[in-house]
Amino acid sequence: MDKIISIYWFTVLFLITGAIVYMVAIFYGEPFDVRDAESHLLNVQIADCFSRGGYLPQVIFDGENFLINRENLLDTCKLSFVTEDFSNWNEQGQYYLEVEILDFDTKSPFELPPPIRIGNFNLRELCNLGKRFPKCESQKIYVLDKNNFPYQINILSAVRKVEKNVI
Amino acid sequence: MKRGDILTENIIFIILNLVFLSILFLFVFSKMGSPAIFEEKYSKQIALIIDAAKPGMEITLDMEDAVKSKDDNFAQNLVFIDNEKNLVLVKLRERGGYYYSFFNDVNVSIVEQEHNLLKKNKLVLEITDG
Repeated sequence: MDKIISIYWFTVLFLITGAIVYMVAIFYGEPFDVRDAESHLLNVQIADCFSRGGYLPQVIFDGENFLINRENLLDTCKLSFVTEDFSNWNEQGQYYLEVEILDFDTKSPFELPPPIRIGNFNLRELCNLGKRFPKCESQKIYVLDKNNFPYQINILSAVRKVEKNVI
Repeated sequence: MKRGDILTENIIFIILNLVFLSILFLFVFSKMGSPAIFEEKYSKQIALIIDAAKPGMEITLDMEDAVKSKDDNFAQNLVFIDNEKNLVLVKLRERGGYYYSFFNDVNVSIVEQEHNLLKKNKLVLEITDG
């Protein structure tokens, strides 16, 4: 009966089992982190909104003035920053969006609208600092108005949603 | 020690090890096919699909693994979309469910969910202007 009650054997067995259970629990307990994809899609939606076939659409620029501003950006680009009320998410704000319109040649915002900033401003400073920080993506696009005047549009998007994407 | 004793010892030893390993594998496989994992996976996947969608699209998503993993006695709709709150809820069991939000302000409707999901394992989403 030496082998059956061998403390050594069962200790090893329990250690291996414990390690496997721990690894499986960690692997399957880790939430899927989709924030990179979310911030990328937010960028893509804004880029699509500001460029229709390479030109600024009428709802953004009417030929003389930029109609887009902080108040109407979400409506114009068909976005909504309402989230589930989880861990106080709605109060904090889980998204941040920054859109800057520049003269393509001079890279100057002179006579152009100021950068549009919407959402939780704090996310900008914490961009991509680590796993438990917001995920951000920035992008530059080139568009023309109907007089073929070129603009550069800088887009920065940030998604927080830490509690549902990281342990 | 007799010959018979050695045989019995070895058989008990092997059986105990097999029992131990079976419990371990059961645990691992139960974790792999757990409805909770599919609830999270599909609610996030559907939210991302909606975020990338444009009005006028019809999107079909194969949810065979989720349908297989759902509780046998759970016969309700598996996917719910709240266009007001921008939420996707995937529910594969009586007690449970996982919801995730999307930011694209479109109107999403589920086409023939019961028929498609339970018979063809397909979820069909129709995207219209919000």
